[in-house]
Amino acid sequence: MIPAFRRCKAAAVVAVLCLFPAAGHTRQFSAVSRTTNAPPQSTGATPRTPDGHPDLSGVWNGLGDNLIGVPNQLANAGIAVESESSTRDVSSGARIATFPRGTNKPLNDEQAERAAALLRRMGSNRPVYKPQYWNTVKNLDQNANEEDPSNNCMPAGIPRAGIPSFIGQSPTYFVFIYPGTGGLIATQTSYRMIPIDGRQHTPLQELDGTYTGEGIGHWEGDTLVVDTYGFNSSTWFDQIGGYMHSENMHVIERFHRDGNTLTWTATVEDPDVLLEPWTTTPRVALLNPDPKAVLPESLPCSERDLGHLATKEHH
Amino acid sequence: MPTKGLVMLMFAAVAAIVFQPARAQSSKDVAKAGAADKTGSTGSDAPDRAKTLRAAGDALGMVRWSDIGAGRSRLPAVDVVNTVELWGSGTTYGGQASKSGASGPAFKTEYHVAIAYNPPAMRMELTRANSDASVQGAAPQHTIQVVREKYAWDESELGAGLVPGKGIATPAPGALNSRLLQLWIFPYGVVKAALAAGDQTRISTENGATVITFPLGGQLAGVTVKATLNASNEVAKVETRADNPALSDMLTETEYSEYADHGEILTDIKSPGHIIQKQGGHTMLDIQLKKVDANNPYVVFPVPENIKMAASR
Repeated sequence: MIPAFRRCKAAAVVAVLCLFPAAGHTRQFSAVSRTTNAPPQSTGATPRTPDGHPDLSGVWNGLGDNLIGVPNQLANAGIAVESESSTRDVSSGARIATFPRGTNKPLNDEQAERAAALLRRMGSNRPVYKPQYWNTVKNLDQNANEEDPSNNCMPAGIPRAGIPSFIGQSPTYFVFIYPGTGGLIATQTSYRMIPIDGRQHTPLQELDGTYTGEGIGHWEGDTLVVDTYGFNSSTWFDQIGGYMHSENMHVIERFHRDGNTLTWTATVEDPDVLLEPWTTTPRVALLNPDPKAVLPESLPCSERDLGHLATKEHH
Repeated sequence: MPTKGLVMLMFAAVAAIVFQPARAQSSKDVAKAGAADKTGSTGSDAPDRAKTLRAAGDALGMVRWSDIGAGRSRLPAVDVVNTVELWGSGTTYGGQASKSGASGPAFKTEYHVAIAYNPPAMRMELTRANSDASVQGAAPQHTIQVVREKYAWDESELGAGLVPGKGIATPAPGALNSRLLQLWIFPYGVVKAALAAGDQTRISTENGATVITFPLGGQLAGVTVKATLNASNEVAKVETRADNPALSDMLTETEYSEYADHGEILTDIKSPGHIIQKQGGHTMLDIQLKKVDANNPYVVFPVPENIKMAASR
């Protein structure tokens, strides 16, 4: 689960998964210095392809620490830190007590890890499972060090992989690339080819379940909608939480470009296990400001830490 | 030693704390509370209030931040407590107190509570065995009491009424306020509600102990909470009083002690290990907690359709 490039600590008594990602593809430019985790404001015009649709192509990692650090994970959990004195839960609108940074004492690694685990889980936007699965989900999250299906460098799956770091676009298909990375989930590189040629889904019963399923795209106005089913049940559908699913999961992703930002949401339908569909809090990526940016090769994912864990404390 | 300028800067920063609405109260209620306060508050104890509430939050491990993987970002600290689950055992007391003034009949009780503050909700599962010799052998009584925002109901089994054929959910509107109160007099709720009360929260000292006094809002408007901190700034005792006689069942006195991180997964969040609650001077609950999951565990409180319909009538 944890690639070689991650700096990790494995204490004798308390072993904690370390989260100091330094993936190469985030090192091409300086991280934006900020005291909030607000999504980046879009600038510039939205380019269009010759067929008139928004051009989504490019390297979407333009906010170095926004992709894999705690500030972004907090945003993914639906918590908007808007200023030194204002935070709210995006889903419920509840304001959350905020204490200026200058009042904080320094943290050691262990304190920072425990705080991060809490921060990632504090949002109110949680999928609602059928009651018979409540304890299952809770136990999966609690025992994530053993149970997380992305352990041992397995694919994150969809929609857990989130926003692709690279999008290639043609009139009839998209290519999404998700580089292997450290951070909250550390997985192997994966890719998807998404046709947008008007074809229909293969009947579900004819599909062998896969990690990324069968995704087919279409345009709804200026929004690319990717409809995916045909999954295996070997992934979780969000970064944290033990959110397992069945092979009948159906995912609808929406990609909307505004200038140099790309907003992504995913709705998960799984009537086998969920009481109702669940939609992620919108996530926003920034186009890499370097027009010549490319994705460097991902370092091999090599699991080195699980064997050292001595407690259930997790990432 | 910090410089005087640094001390002043930190002092000003602490005073800038923003208050989270106690969600027993709506945002509008909080706004009203703030408006009402403008007529009666001098604000002279504001610095003490900010420092005291921050200290109480810190003592419980509620105020947290982390820079892991943050690059150059430096976010402020926030109140991280949303959901908590607790397991314990002890004694609960029911029925009428005896003429001698003793508490009612005692029941050995297994106690399991899940709480959430966003949105405000609680599920209390009690399994009570009657210790009265005259009814020995009776089956244990198992109850699941739930509250979420403006809804209160009882479940015949966990999550009853949500899936066809799976249990019965029974409306319990008469228990709404008392259940919500339990949420806001729990130590985390005390800090959250005191922060939400803003200028209406008062800090004082009684017998050398710090006391926080604040009104609740929303459904619980008319109830005042008085919380006493121990020497470690943990919430040690919570007393409630009601301005309205109709809220007399809101009068409680709860003692919290033996604070520690009781989690199997350590979080640095402290929870009480021992809870004693009294009403009218009679002990109603005496629970020793055995385990706490404070890592914002997956606990959800969807409201069954029949409960929504009953509330709308």
